[in-house]
Amino acid sequence: MLNLLWILLGGYVAGILLPLCLPRQPKAQIITTTAPAIVSTSTGVVLGLLGLTSSDPITGSLASTIPLLTFAIRIDPLAAFFVLTISLAGLAASIYAIGYMRHFDGHTSLPVLGALFNGFLCSMTVVVLADNGIFFLIAWELMSLLSYFLVVTEHENAEVRYAGLFYLIMTQVGTAFIILTFLIFFQEGGSFAFDAFRHPEQLLPENMRTIAFLMALIGFGTKAGIVPLHVWLPYAHPAAPSHISALMSGVMIKTAIYALIRVYFDFLGGQFPWWWGFVVLVIGAVSALLGVMYALMEHDLKGLLAYHSVENIGIILLGIGAGMIFQTYGLKEFAALGLLAGLYHTINHAMFKALLFLGAGSLLYATHTRNMEEYGGLLRRMPWTGACFLIGAVSIAALPPTNGFVSEWLVFQSLFLSFHIPDTFLKLILPLAAAMLALTGALALACFAKAFGISFLALPRSTYARHAREVPIPMRVAMAFLATVCIALGLGPMVVVPLLDRVVAPFTGVSIEGQVLALDGWALATVNVEFASLSPPILALLLGALSVLGLGIVAAFGGLMRKRYYKTWGCGINLTPRMEYTATGFVQPIKRVFSSIYQPTVKLETEFLHESQYFAKRRRFEFHVEPVFQKYLYDPVLALVTALAGRLRVIQAGSLHLYLAYIFVTLIVLLLFSV
Amino acid sequence: MTPPIGSQLVDLGSALLLLTCFGIVAQRRLSACVDLFALQSIFLALTATLVALLTGIHHIYIAAALTIVIKAIVIPRILKKVIERLNVSRELVMNINVPASLLICGVLVMVAFLITQPIIPFGHLLTRDSLAIALAIVLIGFFTMIARQKAVTQMIAFLVMENGLFLGATAATYGMPLIVELGVFFDVLVAALIAGIYTNRLQDAFDSVDTAHLSELKE
Repeated sequence: MLNLLWILLGGYVAGILLPLCLPRQPKAQIITTTAPAIVSTSTGVVLGLLGLTSSDPITGSLASTIPLLTFAIRIDPLAAFFVLTISLAGLAASIYAIGYMRHFDGHTSLPVLGALFNGFLCSMTVVVLADNGIFFLIAWELMSLLSYFLVVTEHENAEVRYAGLFYLIMTQVGTAFIILTFLIFFQEGGSFAFDAFRHPEQLLPENMRTIAFLMALIGFGTKAGIVPLHVWLPYAHPAAPSHISALMSGVMIKTAIYALIRVYFDFLGGQFPWWWGFVVLVIGAVSALLGVMYALMEHDLKGLLAYHSVENIGIILLGIGAGMIFQTYGLKEFAALGLLAGLYHTINHAMFKALLFLGAGSLLYATHTRNMEEYGGLLRRMPWTGACFLIGAVSIAALPPTNGFVSEWLVFQSLFLSFHIPDTFLKLILPLAAAMLALTGALALACFAKAFGISFLALPRSTYARHAREVPIPMRVAMAFLATVCIALGLGPMVVVPLLDRVVAPFTGVSIEGQVLALDGWALATVNVEFASLSPPILALLLGALSVLGLGIVAAFGGLMRKRYYKTWGCGINLTPRMEYTATGFVQPIKRVFSSIYQPTVKLETEFLHESQYFAKRRRFEFHVEPVFQKYLYDPVLALVTALAGRLRVIQAGSLHLYLAYIFVTLIVLLLFSV
Repeated sequence: MTPPIGSQLVDLGSALLLLTCFGIVAQRRLSACVDLFALQSIFLALTATLVALLTGIHHIYIAAALTIVIKAIVIPRILKKVIERLNVSRELVMNINVPASLLICGVLVMVAFLITQPIIPFGHLLTRDSLAIALAIVLIGFFTMIARQKAVTQMIAFLVMENGLFLGATAATYGMPLIVELGVFFDVLVAALIAGIYTNRLQDAFDSVDTAHLSELKE
């Protein structure tokens, strides 16, 4: 086990150092940086699976000369599960990078990009393995900084620099809160070892626990992108190179989920008042709904996907929040179900979001634009990418037979079980959250109908799209791999659930594997089978059978099946791309319905011909969604900070005498103070 | 009971030092400031010699001799040269005018006595009362650095502070170990040289030795 860990770390280190030592040979550089990453991530997959199935946590540690810091590693099922998730997504991203990094040749230094990529993967892996507070923080900070450097890969672009700065500031603020959280634990235990956090000498006082809860929520929530701390995410994730976006959205924000579970269920021992779970649940519901709503209004494909990360983090938190509420009331089985649903969605989201980002990267690679309005007709030109993107879209829209469907169904079920809670208020709130989740799901479906339809179907709307070519083989392989994993996770809950059960069991104290799997594992059930159950494999078979049946009926009763290829009938007019639905037009109804949330501003300019004012020469239509959080939350805070800084600048007059006077006055005050 | 005569003499020397401090604060002419500083250094050397006589610690003689050579002869010469070269005969620019400065210095002396009040009874050296005066001199030197604009005056003020420190060391522990004192003298000399160069540079850059111009370097 620990040998595997050495291989994993060694691979990443090799991936960092090798390309930096090579002469300028793009091909060699790419291979030397991706091959070690592939080895390491594959090792990580094995390590994760081993850790999930081993009976005891595996530990190892190296002492350091720095007090309070030991490089301690502990692989318990929770950590192993996240290592598995990170490594799976990392494996796909590494394979993808073989082809995709060529895109950057000449713009950026490939060795540096490769080294950062490896370092980023390594730091994420260490974050979930660390068993010491300071070690964790070092890894966490490395992860943040390396991802910042990756975000600003294309730093020539002012927007990218802005995104990077925004991200850096937010993530540092988050880290400050995380440090405070750990200091609270440290104060009580006197050590930064996670074991001391886990089993303190005496329990933390109630108010300290509450502070720790809030600090952790803010600190890790910033990284996870919960509303209203999500504002950096739609800037930063699209700005990064696509295979990095895939990792950031797919797994980096999940390290925050890992940390939250670690802190709430492990360090705080799963003992908390009901309102903690309630807060997490509400944040989850709001994040899910707002995330998908803003995603609908995005026409930058990667921006759209970034907002969907906010949505899916919300769904994960819904599961975890429900679990926390059940935990408070001692309903252990349900708590386990909620947590399990959240974790299931974590790995699912990692897979399909990585897949979609890689798909978006392929589109970018082929068309050099991220604007959906300039796509169109790409399915015929890029069938592989299109097929994989479709699978990802179906997964994220939570349609059977894919993985998103299974985990969202589980989240729904855990919310519906709220009638077991004695508290009337919560009995009402959880179904409301379920209703919000339902709306989220519907909107996500609409969003991906838009994303896929506008991008891949109909006629190309730009010369870029017209000349798009299918991407290189490694990129296709990576996408196909993830698509396969998506389908497999959807059809194979009987394999996934027992593993997840091992993760959840230590925190809730019950194993629900037997209760969740009905029909010898061929069906999923809620904790009591009578309430609801579902069998993804059978469902998939039924879907297949239905489509075959439909085609059969057509064949039987449809008369002669002569194929004739012809252009789409356009009432005698030749169809042009200008007649197509645009992305903006597609979401117009939704914009109307939710205009109170979007606060859209619409600009319509029309130029008429000189001869007659009945014939328009040109029309320009612009609309913007009001960035509510930035305007009403961030801008005031920013203005306040700037104003305070302006006040402080007065004392920085640059006058030698003034500075001497500061020192002098301080001296006198201190002397008088000491008397 | 009155303290022994030696102790009173040391107090007298310290008081003279303090007096010259006030002189420096009140003086508008630069060259007079330098002369006053030289005078102060001589008083300091005398006081140190007196302490050496009374205690029989020999290395204080060396320190006193060095004080005479470096602080009463060498450094004043450097300063005079700077003043001649720069043509600044009068200290016209003051952040705080003379009467106010003197009042503040009076307050500082009181503060110094107030601060050392709890410490002094614990001392059992014959120089113990000088500690308050030494602290007062340090504070006044510091204050002069703030209150005067020209670089030359600031340098003098810095040297006054150093004198105060030396007196304080002598008063508190009969002087620092010789090696330390030698080091300090060397430091002060170097500081004076550097300050001389710095004033020249200031002159070249801003056609004046008014350190207020340094604020233009901000941004």
